[in-house]
Amino acid sequence: MSDTTNTPIEPASVVVVSGGSRGLGLAIVEDILAQGAKVAAFARTVTPELQALADANPERVLAASVDATDAKAVAAFVKEAETRLGPVDGLVNNAAMGQDSLHIHTSPEQISALIETNLVAPLLLARTVIRRMMAKGKRGRVVMVTSVCAQRGYSGLVAYGATKGGLDSAMRALAREMHGRVLVNSVAPGFFASEMSSVLGQTQLDTITRRTPSGRLVEPENIVPVVNMLLFQDTNLNGQVITVDGGNSI
Amino acid sequence: MSAVSREQIRTMMAEVLSAQGKEMPTDDSTELEGIGFRSLDFSELALRVEDETGEELNFDAPGLRQIRTVTDVLDFLEQLQGA
Repeated sequence: MSDTTNTPIEPASVVVVSGGSRGLGLAIVEDILAQGAKVAAFARTVTPELQALADANPERVLAASVDATDAKAVAAFVKEAETRLGPVDGLVNNAAMGQDSLHIHTSPEQISALIETNLVAPLLLARTVIRRMMAKGKRGRVVMVTSVCAQRGYSGLVAYGATKGGLDSAMRALAREMHGRVLVNSVAPGFFASEMSSVLGQTQLDTITRRTPSGRLVEPENIVPVVNMLLFQDTNLNGQVITVDGGNSI
Repeated sequence: MSAVSREQIRTMMAEVLSAQGKEMPTDDSTELEGIGFRSLDFSELALRVEDETGEELNFDAPGLRQIRTVTDVLDFLEQLQGA
């Protein structure tokens, strides 16, 4: 059997967002709502901000406390999203855990946890969501939030970089495998100014900023429009990594 | 839940085709290529069967590549449920 599909994929109408309770994930949830679509967001902890969105938009927002590494709970959440909001046709795989330790000083347990959270969990979530899309005869869009760490080596981020590189690789294979039924892309942010300022001094921040061609570090609000484009616009982008880092990595 | 019958699978296959404006042939020896039933359509059909049975139907790609006709589709999904 072969595959040929040629009509544009519709903008997403019901989007699952992992890690949607704070920071970039919450900003993506707000943007999806502003776009007029429905959103099902989960995170280990539902913040007051996410809960307020759900309370204000009960017909359009589903929020729940779900551990991304609990595959059964995630699958149940996707099913509930389908029941409450309608067939799911979008996914933003955003949940991740960070790292700031040299590889030789990172415990095996910590390396396993990074792989479980940042690679296995998003692969299983993508599998679950795409299976539901297919079962409902839907087409859709998947966005992986990866990192510039997948493309360049950064000290203290060995396992983290490996998981993000793995996710970019999986994204490309999935885009090919779904053959026009699902558009699959990655957005790879650089280091967020807010995150860096918590671990670096002002002098170091100034140096990094000076070396960034755009002259400023990346912020979550820089990522949101790119995710929006991948979820809602007809760009025919598929199997690509879009790096948003002010040109720091070029 | 019990297994989905051959006739039910045929009906589901017709639904998958119908959603794309295509018709289910009456002759089961019809080649899938001729009716535009593609490999991801097969995946969609398998997932619809799963929804009925509540059991995952996982299989390797080489098995899928052997499928050429409507009969092959019905046989494969029947056997998969019995496996």
